[in-house]
Amino acid sequence: MILRQLVLMLAVTVASAAHAQESPPDILISRQLANERGLSVGSIVQLATDAAGTGARRFRIAGIYEPTPDPARLGAVPREVRMHLPDLLDVTRTPGVPAGTEYIANINVALADPKDAAAFSRDVNARMPGVIARPSGEAAGSAGPFRVLERFHLAIAIVTIVASTVFLLALTIMLVDERRETVGILRLIGLPARRVLMQVFIEGVIVAGAGAAFGLVLALLSEGLINAFFQWRYDTALIFVRITRDVALTSAGIAIPLGASATVLASWALLRRSGLRLVRR
Amino acid sequence: MNALRFAWRSLVRQPARATLGVLGVAAVGALLLDMLLLSQGLVVSMRDLLERSGWDIRVSASELPGRGGRVSSATRTAERIAALPSVKAALLVRIANADIERSNGSPITAVFQGVSGRSTRAEPITPPWTVVRGRDARGPGEVVIDTAIASAANLEIGSTITLRANCVGDREALPPARLSVVGIADFPFAGTNEDAMGGSLDALKAACGGNVGDEADLLLVTSATEPNQTAAAIRAAVPHLYALTNADVVGRLQQTGFTYFRQISTVLTTVTVSFAVLLITVLLTVSVNQRLGEIAALRALGFSRSRVVADVLSESSLIVGLGGLLSLPLGVLLAAGLDRILKGMPGIPAELHFFVFERTALALHVGLLAATAVIAALYPMRIVSTLPIAATLRDEVIG
Repeated sequence: MILRQLVLMLAVTVASAAHAQESPPDILISRQLANERGLSVGSIVQLATDAAGTGARRFRIAGIYEPTPDPARLGAVPREVRMHLPDLLDVTRTPGVPAGTEYIANINVALADPKDAAAFSRDVNARMPGVIARPSGEAAGSAGPFRVLERFHLAIAIVTIVASTVFLLALTIMLVDERRETVGILRLIGLPARRVLMQVFIEGVIVAGAGAAFGLVLALLSEGLINAFFQWRYDTALIFVRITRDVALTSAGIAIPLGASATVLASWALLRRSGLRLVRR
Repeated sequence: MNALRFAWRSLVRQPARATLGVLGVAAVGALLLDMLLLSQGLVVSMRDLLERSGWDIRVSASELPGRGGRVSSATRTAERIAALPSVKAALLVRIANADIERSNGSPITAVFQGVSGRSTRAEPITPPWTVVRGRDARGPGEVVIDTAIASAANLEIGSTITLRANCVGDREALPPARLSVVGIADFPFAGTNEDAMGGSLDALKAACGGNVGDEADLLLVTSATEPNQTAAAIRAAVPHLYALTNADVVGRLQQTGFTYFRQISTVLTTVTVSFAVLLITVLLTVSVNQRLGEIAALRALGFSRSRVVADVLSESSLIVGLGGLLSLPLGVLLAAGLDRILKGMPGIPAELHFFVFERTALALHVGLLAATAVIAALYPMRIVSTLPIAATLRDEVIG
């Protein structure tokens, strides 16, 4: 199909099929463009490079496609047309430029063995001065904005964790204080501080584990809702939230030790006191 | 003793939990403030940046300047626009990528802006950069560079640079051009990670070996009248081009590129406020439950129901109020850090900010925290208002 830039903002007007002298060339249009203009497969349309319709040419819609989700174009409605390269050049060729002298921006090459990409690029660069060949993996530079967003979300997550930790400490201090007498009695009947601390620690792990599991279930339930909302809002098939195994493990890996540590930390001061002081006698 | 002072004493009596409560609110409040600043910050900052540039209208071949094709027959178009009665001046801008060679180290990749002005009223034409040292570039052999290039390539005013430009496609193999540096300038629309240089259109043509055609990426226009009227006149004169006022550009960006930040700000504001309400409710509820006997005793001594309810509300207000006050400097510091992270995005002008302080955002922050204090206190207030005095005291004595 097309090797060059495929996205064109072209004036589209439906032409009467009755006037067709010969079968016009086929094109594909994006779902969003089809919905917006009420176009369907088989419609005959005219495409031109300006709104005045200068040099318009007729095409037949052979299919409607869902554009590949592109995070870089979030918010922009993809009104796209895909056509064969010769047809594109015919439409976009400026007057006075002979056919066959146009230039194209990129040629995508599929190799028999993808591992040869670097060697192939070096070979092309050496043999064809003026042409730059790069393995497609190097195009990862375009993911820059998303790496920045990742860092931004990480920073927000850190602030949220700090706030949660502070609140968690306040809560555990209150909860431990509430159990002062129980701990005092356990100490008076002979349980060593280390034994009580172990009990508190296990309790903390269980509570933190249950909290982390609840949080993960909540995240899994909201994942679908968030994706559905943003996919509707931006009319895209992009996935905005994905709870992966690594994300779940990281969350649990932070939440459980944090919860257990907060419980132990809050209990530590209490356990250093004598049993009699704890039961206030 | 009034309710506020009484609540203060309750907090002071439990310093650890009170401090942690206040710190928790401060952290949540800082995040809340930042999300409120983020919701409009980019738009406010972009509007300010566009207005400071001194140009009222941007004419381009695509809906958003810089995203699409170029303006063809640029010289004639600029002359037609400059000839309109409502136009003071028009500036033709052509952009190319250039690799500046260095004696030691790899070349510096920079954005080269070539400009050419048109004015029918002898109006002064300002380029899209501000010269901070030396003078502006004139003619085909001179350029101004930004401080980053000057420092990285060890260049001074009077130095000569050798560059290879890419003027039409992504990569070209043009012969090197030698240009003289006559000034150091600030480029307000240059990206954070982007080096910029500027000169006349002739200088850019010289660097491109004449391989630029009569095309412009953008035409900047200063209006003599109301910008909307001038933009309409330009659209009538050159109907195949887009003429956008600064307000139009901001509006378009709001609908496309900036939406993500508004959405994320809304989501995080909602989550942050809900989080704060939930946690303060739990803190106050546990605190009240631990003091049920004490509250019942106060009621028995003659404290009215409304008075003990006011005590709980005051306690909530103190925690949220103190935390909210602390959240302001914390929020400003956090905003500076987050702004630095987001400005790492390619193509974001260095002078654009994601977090911009606005009085409305501060008022909303205060309003949301006040609502948090009240909502978080509702349940514990209900506990103390429905507390059976005799039964609670009896339980306390038996317990």
